[in-house]
Amino acid sequence: MSSANASSAKIFKPRFNPAKPAFGVLVFLLYLFLLAPLLIVFVVSFASNQYLSFPPEGLTLKWYEMLPQESTFMEGMKVSLIVAVIVTLIVLVLGVPAALALDRFEFRAKAAVQSFFLSPLLIPSIVLALGMVLLFGPLELNNTYAGIIIGHVAITIPFVIRTTLMSLATTDTSCEAAARILGADSWTVFRRVTLPIIQPGVIAGGVIAFIVSFDEAVISLFVAESGLPTLPVQVLRYVENSADAAVAALSVILILISLAVVVVVERVMGLRKALR
Amino acid sequence: MTEPKLSIVDLTKRYAADLDPAVDRLNMEVEEGHLVALLGPSGCGKTTTLRMVAGLMDPTAGSIVVDGKEITHTPVNKRGMGMVFQSYALFPHMNVEQNVAFGLEMRQVTKAEQKARVAAALDMVQLGHLGKRQTKELSGGQQQRIALARALVVEPTLLLLDEPLSNLDAKLRETMRTEIRAIQQRTRATTLFVTHDQDEALDMADRIAVMNGGLIEQFGSPTEVYERPRTHFVANFIGQANFLAARVGAETGRANLAGESHYKVEVDGLGQFGAIGSTGLSGSSHELVIRPHRLNVSLHPGAAQAPLAGTIERVSYTGDALAVAVRIGDQQLHAQMLTSSGDLPRIGDAAYLSWAADDAYLLPAAAQPVRLAA
Repeated sequence: MSSANASSAKIFKPRFNPAKPAFGVLVFLLYLFLLAPLLIVFVVSFASNQYLSFPPEGLTLKWYEMLPQESTFMEGMKVSLIVAVIVTLIVLVLGVPAALALDRFEFRAKAAVQSFFLSPLLIPSIVLALGMVLLFGPLELNNTYAGIIIGHVAITIPFVIRTTLMSLATTDTSCEAAARILGADSWTVFRRVTLPIIQPGVIAGGVIAFIVSFDEAVISLFVAESGLPTLPVQVLRYVENSADAAVAALSVILILISLAVVVVVERVMGLRKALR
Repeated sequence: MTEPKLSIVDLTKRYAADLDPAVDRLNMEVEEGHLVALLGPSGCGKTTTLRMVAGLMDPTAGSIVVDGKEITHTPVNKRGMGMVFQSYALFPHMNVEQNVAFGLEMRQVTKAEQKARVAAALDMVQLGHLGKRQTKELSGGQQQRIALARALVVEPTLLLLDEPLSNLDAKLRETMRTEIRAIQQRTRATTLFVTHDQDEALDMADRIAVMNGGLIEQFGSPTEVYERPRTHFVANFIGQANFLAARVGAETGRANLAGESHYKVEVDGLGQFGAIGSTGLSGSSHELVIRPHRLNVSLHPGAAQAPLAGTIERVSYTGDALAVAVRIGDQQLHAQMLTSSGDLPRIGDAAYLSWAADDAYLLPAAAQPVRLAA
């Protein structure tokens, strides 16, 4: 019956289907809505307006020229990069084995452990940040790299575990068994078989962790606002004190950096495959 | 007899204390160079047995001895075995040559020797020209052959095959089983082969272990398990069979040198017949097994002596075979007829059955209560 309907539908199908362009317009509007803030920042960064505002009165590159002289930005950039790189390395070293354990072993309270690792995604970061300040005080971790890094590791590890688990779920465990039978010890199996197979998930997790850490403001603000301000913290401070478009120029640079990271990873290792 | 290549002694696997064992005190000896099929329905313990031999699973009790050395607790990577998985389990990030070379690399074979042995192994499976290909570019049958080459290139102590043909389509499966058997005979690799497909087992194996519920019901050559099934399960699982409950009467003589006798037996509702079975069955009830193609079916009376008259209840024509179900009293018997280009028998036609005494085999085990057909 359904096939009869389908074939009659084919026969009487109108040549022009108005739903198609309508859908195209809808998709366009959605993208416009999502990208509008970015576009405005981009335009404003070239605007000669005295203050951060829209629409532009003229075009200039002076905000970009200002950036290298703004030492707070350069300092913040340095701190953020150091933190993001170390955080990425730590979450990979911790997260990948954790995901392996969660995927491959049966143990008591497995579900609880899984929820625990993923919980930072569900808790408002302001609550986490407050808790960390209170905890780090007596440990003298406030305003240190260690403090920021520990905070960022806590919020980024769920991403690495999630993406790695996704890769693991689609792998054939027989591959590992085959390698062991062929004479490989556990470490060799991990290095030569497991890791290459789950590589897309690991890379995706690492990229996300890097970007999240680089971008993170709340915990950095609470834990190290005075002593070791990261770039987002510096931006926040700058916007509080001055209202020119230098932050817009900075934002464009940051967008380009993120884009560059994504493009390079995609070119080199295939991020699209990883995030599938 | 020479020392067996593989001995399995009282091997037992229990997944949980409150469950029936998956493998229950299994004993088996495999001769050097033999291909032994572990045959049974899913859940019979055949794959568990194979994984214990491979070392991928720890037995609960019992031991595994290879070449006279106990390996029950030897780590997987020190057993020197080769295994082909149902999913082939080729390493997706390596090309064909790298896959095949993996085991040699682990054995620290020199690069030059690796190259030569990989090439020889790929030639053996007729894929010498595909060495540089990525594995996902290959067809199922090709992946299967690469997996076989990868397992055999290390000259394994035992070759373990876990349902290697079940992911292939029917035509290819038959080609591959001939090819795997040929390669196995050429390399003389002692092989354990897990399958649920009786045709595969009968075609390829030197010995078949028919498994059911964690036990070996029968261990024997293909003709033994087919012609002389020890239990109802074996007769039912391998090939098709008619089962008739028979009261065994007097022995009427020696049937052959294998120590079997001819008997007079009586089947309720059908009458008295001749049958064959091991000695000493007189006076008790046993099941009579008759293979459908050993029943003579005639559409006219008089061809055979004292045929049983019945009615055709079902006709199944598949081109090269013609199977009929014949109702005689409260029994339904399955039989095979030769196909001809003439008219097919029709449901409701009269049919006359007969069989030779040597084709009616009495199961040695006492008749069991009627089980539900699988």
